[in-house]
Amino acid sequence: MEHVDELIAGHALRALSSEDEERVVVHLAECERCRRRLRETEAVAASLAYSVPQVAPPPELRSRVLAIAEPVVSAPVAEAPVAEAPSRPARPRTRRGWWPRFSLVAVPAMAIALVALLAWNVSLRNDISSNRDDLASGAAVALPGVGNVVAQTDGNATLFAHLQPAPAGKTYEAWVIRGSVALPAGVFEGGGTVELQLTQTAKPGDKIAVTVEPAGGSQKPTTTPIATSQGV
Amino acid sequence: MEHLSDHGLLALVGRGDREAFARLYDMYGGAAYSLAVRIVRDRELASDVVQNTFLAIWTQARTFDSSRGQPSTWILTMTHHKAVDMVRREERRRAEPLDDAPAAADPEPAVEHQAWLGVAREQIAAALARLPDPHREVIELAYFAGYTQSELAERLAVPIGTVKSRTFAAMNALREALAALGMRPEDEWNTSTS
Repeated sequence: MEHVDELIAGHALRALSSEDEERVVVHLAECERCRRRLRETEAVAASLAYSVPQVAPPPELRSRVLAIAEPVVSAPVAEAPVAEAPSRPARPRTRRGWWPRFSLVAVPAMAIALVALLAWNVSLRNDISSNRDDLASGAAVALPGVGNVVAQTDGNATLFAHLQPAPAGKTYEAWVIRGSVALPAGVFEGGGTVELQLTQTAKPGDKIAVTVEPAGGSQKPTTTPIATSQGV
Repeated sequence: MEHLSDHGLLALVGRGDREAFARLYDMYGGAAYSLAVRIVRDRELASDVVQNTFLAIWTQARTFDSSRGQPSTWILTMTHHKAVDMVRREERRRAEPLDDAPAAADPEPAVEHQAWLGVAREQIAAALARLPDPHREVIELAYFAGYTQSELAERLAVPIGTVKSRTFAAMNALREALAALGMRPEDEWNTSTS
């Protein structure tokens, strides 16, 4: 296994390119040695946090933060998970690496890949001797023809996609497939390496899929898969 | 609750304990806000960063594993990353001065924090000062100004491979400089005894 020692420092400083970030994150999901290195490096980086001048937060920030923990009292809403509203925010929700602009390029045959979170499923059926750190760090699974998905135990998942830019009037859309239901998980334009924080959390047994949709995305996939992996 | 380690406090937060959550904010909110202000150079954006960080804490505390390190490191790492993401998202020019003079430090912080923090700040500044200029430079530009490695390569007029190896060496050197001053960050950034 090729370790990522040199990149761990850049990762701890959040300075990596999307490509390097993907390499590191995928590797960390499977390497306790490098996770340990990362923890040490993050602790060193955190020391820099303590070197800044201390500024008093405004009192209203405390109220805003504590309001996070208040139970929400409102009219009954649709049961979770909630599908995306039809109108998308103008800015796609990725963590970083905002969309580069691309001229129109033909997309190869529509790349739709279904992948089961096999590694995650397997690691969750752990026996006592299994490495619980694998659970703590989640698992990485390949999305053939697209890239990788890294899922955390809390359900947050990140898609790293290498795709040609979507054709004019189209967009790529990620889905979390749960049973027979496809939950919208974010749209992206493609081109280069895209890092997309899925807007839908993933649970054990879920699959991740990517389809090509009309610009703005869809509520349900409108194209049929041409590549499917069997779930466990 | 004062007798709890940070891990214990976080475990309570993971079980939905609002008092523990408030205590965690009182302990680390100031440091998080200060870091965010330093990076994003705008108080409102800094507040957004802190709010987002504590939202992540509230939703992810349940699955936080002690093997991941100290909660304080986790909190400040998240704060840092969200602040840097915001700098990039808002395309804020990194050299801009702060909008107004910083307020004095809160006169009533979580008590056990204050004296320790002052000492720590001096020692960290000393450790940074020990680094060779090129090393200190890559750390400061990456950590505080949010430069990516390719942007650093351009700005410093070196190959990106040099940026990577320099960053790696710099963080090792910083760890050693801190150790020489008696600080071991992995153990250090926890104001409560475990």
